[in-house]
Amino acid sequence: MSYHLLLIWAAALATLGVYSILYRENPVSRFFEHIFVGLAAGYIVATTWTQNLEGKWWDPMIVQGHWWWVFAPVVGILFYFIFSRRLSWLARLAMGLFFGVGAGTFFREFFPLLAPQIHGSFKPLLPLAATAASPGLGWADVVLHHWVFVVILLCVMSYFFFAIPHEGRFGSGLARASALGRWFLMIAFGAMFGNTVMARISLFIGRVQFLLNDWLGSFLPWFAHRGM
Amino acid sequence: MLDRLQTIPRYYVYLLLAAVVVWQVLFPIHLPIVPSASTRGVIDAIKAVPDDKLIIISTDWDASTQAETGPQTKAIIEACFQNHKRFAIMNLQPPVGVKLANDLAESAAKRYGARYGVDWCNWGYKYGYENVLLAMQKNIPLAVGKDFNGTPVAQLPMMKGVKNIRDIGLVVLVTGLANMTEMWVGLIQTPFRIPLAAGYTAVMAPGYYAYLDSDQLKGILVGAKGAAELESAVGRPDAATAIMNVQSWAHLLIIALIILGNVGQTLARKSSAETGR
Repeated sequence: MSYHLLLIWAAALATLGVYSILYRENPVSRFFEHIFVGLAAGYIVATTWTQNLEGKWWDPMIVQGHWWWVFAPVVGILFYFIFSRRLSWLARLAMGLFFGVGAGTFFREFFPLLAPQIHGSFKPLLPLAATAASPGLGWADVVLHHWVFVVILLCVMSYFFFAIPHEGRFGSGLARASALGRWFLMIAFGAMFGNTVMARISLFIGRVQFLLNDWLGSFLPWFAHRGM
Repeated sequence: MLDRLQTIPRYYVYLLLAAVVVWQVLFPIHLPIVPSASTRGVIDAIKAVPDDKLIIISTDWDASTQAETGPQTKAIIEACFQNHKRFAIMNLQPPVGVKLANDLAESAAKRYGARYGVDWCNWGYKYGYENVLLAMQKNIPLAVGKDFNGTPVAQLPMMKGVKNIRDIGLVVLVTGLANMTEMWVGLIQTPFRIPLAAGYTAVMAPGYYAYLDSDQLKGILVGAKGAAELESAVGRPDAATAIMNVQSWAHLLIIALIILGNVGQTLARKSSAETGR
């Protein structure tokens, strides 16, 4: 049996083993699940060494003689002091450092991330011409798109607007807009759920293709290229 | 009797779905696939990259989403080779994505006679999320270090003249993970005006349409559907096209089951109301 064929058989057995959970919880499914988790964890450790630490830490320190890199893992080691009741404050130092770096980076990302979207929400309801950002659309199409966008945006925002009670003279209009906003949200959630179903079925189809085309096709040639 | 429509054992639903999928994998009835505007945005962005700039394909996916992200990556690589655009594969997380993408690129490179290090390269898995992108802003060879094969990227012929992020003409992100887009948009796309396009699993794609509208993303590939549309655009129907044929029939079955369940519920409610009266 060639190496490639062995891989196909291993993958087919693992696929069938994992899918056996559809019948009921069983040790075979658990066994393959644990193998998958173990392999993934092992792969992460190995590639973190070969493609990151070796070239950027080990080689400079050992091969190029930059001895000061020996201090780099100290911060990482501090995390393990979380297991000592007396010295756990050392772990908090490392966590504080990482929280600070994380928060600082996030602040840096935040404005460039959201500002263009806020700007993009201000759409002209009667644009002078079809914009370049809407290729293939005529003026009337663009107007319709912008109206739909603005109406839905305002209705959905009103659903989350709690500063004024949704009742009374002014509040009743807000309540109607907010009810409409709730419907728009439901439609959006429906679209998201539809996409979720599509994603899950894609994964299932991918596995069935593998089982029929690659695995069965490896010993019954009729299956090899069906559906392609 | 009507109650039964709402309590069909789940094994029957699974078996029915499996039967439809197997039927369509073995005896496909092909349906037309037309590239949508968001998919055309991806191919247009690839074509618009100047010849002196590189494309980065960030393959942040693994085996768990391979049925969608694998064909997306393959179609993007095909589009790059077809349009003679040089590209570098890289990945921030999970590391296996860069290996799977490498296999796809090697196989496509043979067909196009493309050479590693000249037409394409693989920067490998780079741990550090935002920190990697911050380092790439200033010095890409230093931030990347060695490539997937252990060669310093500065020694690759295609990396001549590539100093920092301003030498990149497009980033194509293919991912099944949340937060990767936010990093690329916040640290690379908006501050440096580097065009960004993306391929997402269908589950996460709806959340990113806002980025398309604000022009932060040039185009989006939505799950296997987006991959099939890109395959159609580059004229190489492949795995995603086969998936989408099957998918359409599976969707018809699900729609039929939903209607059946709802009809059953409505009729059962009516019948119980009449009995109660």
